Amino acid sequence: MTIPERTLLRRLFTAQDLTSMAPAAKVVVYALLLSWLMVVLFPLYWLFITSFKLPVHVNDGPDFLPFIDFKPSGHAWRYIFVELGNDTLRPYLSSVIVASCSTVLCVLIGAFAAYALVRIQYRVKVGNVAAFLLFLAGTVYVIVNLGAPWPVAAAVASVLFVLFATSVGRSFQRSLGNDDILFWIISNRILPPVVVVLPVYLMFQRLGLLDTHVALIATYTAINLPIVVWLMRDFFAGIPVDLEESAQIDGASRFRIFFTIVLPLGRPGLAATSLLILILAWNEYLLALFISTADAQTMPMLVAAQNATRGPQWWYMSVLIVIMIAPIVLTAAMLQRHIARGLMVGAIKG
Amino acid sequence: MRVRLANVRKSFGRHEVVRNLSLDIADGELLVLLGASGCGKTTALRMVAGLETVTAGTIEIGDRDVTHVLPKYRNVAMVFQSYALYPHMTVARNIGYPLKLRGTPAAELDAAVRSAAAKVHLEELLDRYPRQLSGGQRQRVALARAMVRTPSVFLMDEPLSNLDAKLRSAMRAELKRLQSDLGVTTIYVTHDQIEAMTLAHRVAVMDGGVLQQVAPPKEIYDEPANLLVARFIGAPAMNIVAGAMEHGVFRLRDGAVPLGGAAPRASLYLGFRPEDAILAPADAAMLRARIYSTEMTGNETIVTCHLDGEPVVVRADKDFEGAPDSAVGIDLDPAKAVLFDRDTGNRIRR
Repeated sequence: MTIPERTLLRRLFTAQDLTSMAPAAKVVVYALLLSWLMVVLFPLYWLFITSFKLPVHVNDGPDFLPFIDFKPSGHAWRYIFVELGNDTLRPYLSSVIVASCSTVLCVLIGAFAAYALVRIQYRVKVGNVAAFLLFLAGTVYVIVNLGAPWPVAAAVASVLFVLFATSVGRSFQRSLGNDDILFWIISNRILPPVVVVLPVYLMFQRLGLLDTHVALIATYTAINLPIVVWLMRDFFAGIPVDLEESAQIDGASRFRIFFTIVLPLGRPGLAATSLLILILAWNEYLLALFISTADAQTMPMLVAAQNATRGPQWWYMSVLIVIMIAPIVLTAAMLQRHIARGLMVGAIKG
Repeated sequence: MRVRLANVRKSFGRHEVVRNLSLDIADGELLVLLGASGCGKTTALRMVAGLETVTAGTIEIGDRDVTHVLPKYRNVAMVFQSYALYPHMTVARNIGYPLKLRGTPAAELDAAVRSAAAKVHLEELLDRYPRQLSGGQRQRVALARAMVRTPSVFLMDEPLSNLDAKLRSAMRAELKRLQSDLGVTTIYVTHDQIEAMTLAHRVAVMDGGVLQQVAPPKEIYDEPANLLVARFIGAPAMNIVAGAMEHGVFRLRDGAVPLGGAAPRASLYLGFRPEDAILAPADAAMLRARIYSTEMTGNETIVTCHLDGEPVVVRADKDFEGAPDSAVGIDLDPAKAVLFDRDTGNRIRR
């Protein structure tokens, strides 16, 4: 047997050992990674330097390097923080309140729902669902056409439905399972939420909640709930049922199990889901446009407002976007270590 | 405490997993539920734990009917096959969890955890997480968690089956000692007959959801109630050959065994343990067979012969040598042979 010749070319394409890459492959991989890094970071860089540019630098065409191509100026920052002052702070606080409250609510309710769908087998009778819709239509008819007071009509219909479901309803055969319920929940997100913006608008108008944080929190919680249920269900399904049975025998109630066993173990999923929901709520624009006008206005609206009669004010926008991105980046960095996998190691077997 | 199952049944849909199971387990007894996988033993245990509902029948712990009582109110402790340790808690918190749920004061809880840990030699590892432990150590944590609160009953679901062979036999001895020291009634599920034989005060053999026999290990071994038990217990299992009783002699095609006192009967099975037979010269022995194979295990030689075309196993001296296909005779101890009815499979004579 002859020893293969160690030419330069061969060395370039051969890995040194099992755990390393060939030099040529290394070059290619790092080149790809670097170019992707550029794609990701360049817009952020551009945003950042634009916030320090004077209008003339923006309009005169691309200036890339501060201090060399142009002289940085704090005029946009001064305008946003000093001249606008409270008009910046208010939407910022609005965004913080709305996004954080809706995320907490959404993840909490969604996690409950997801857990229930994983661990409890529901059998919803198709007949009862149909009956519910009929009762609902009847109630609406009675209120609209016969002028019945709505609280009375709703109460009567609820009682009648419960009576129906617990008597006649028991004899129905066909039923829906957990998968059907889950599909129904996710189907709520098949249409973009903005298609229901008119009814939502009218509803909040009637309730006198237009332009309030409550309206935005409720709306965001409702539209993001299906995503939480869908994501958390998989995380909860991955928790061995033995752990929960063991806790049951050790003397824990369902709620206790949920809060001391399931939630801590679902932490990576909770962190990832919370981050996603936070970003969705933080960036939401279309629904906010309808529901909030002044008091409850959120940051995306303020950013959009910089494109007014004088044309797009890129420098102001950049400042706003920079301060808008900051908390999300910080939150992501904080949640990062919770998203790490491998929490379940040691639960069962070995 | 005494545990009593009366006519317990369990069905999953149309599939009946446990059929009419009645068991009376004395205070302080260690009862082993033994059977192949899918025989309903684990389901039976889970019904005692309260993790499965009971389709029909009653379960009593002490003098209390617990058939419809939630697991947390039964005061039972269970060790799962998977150990079911809480991966996000340290060893100390794992062991203390059942007490914490009962609102035990911190000092008392700490003392109880330490004493339970001491019983299974875990004192050094209390601050570790389950993922930092070996399989044997995890097993001990599960045991300590079960022992920390002096339950009415210990339930063990194949607790040793995930350990390697050497550790398993060591833990077996330890378990037996712990159980007799604590004197807590124990129901132990296993498919391993060595575990059953060595640990049990009484063994309950199950097959196809039906309880076949409950008796002390020696009785199960020497006097199996029927063919199912006879074939399941013993390694190698009991030899079963077909034949008929005529004039005090059990006659088969290639030989006859004198069995004084047995009534004449046409279709019967004769059963004998491999150690109750010896190999002899072909022409002078009760049964004439051919050697199929020989396996030297160290302290003995397992000789498989063909008798009437059926395999028959005999334990021979470790120095035994016999060529395959050579003729050999088998002599057996008539006092230790048992007879089974061929139609019902039940034992009719010791």
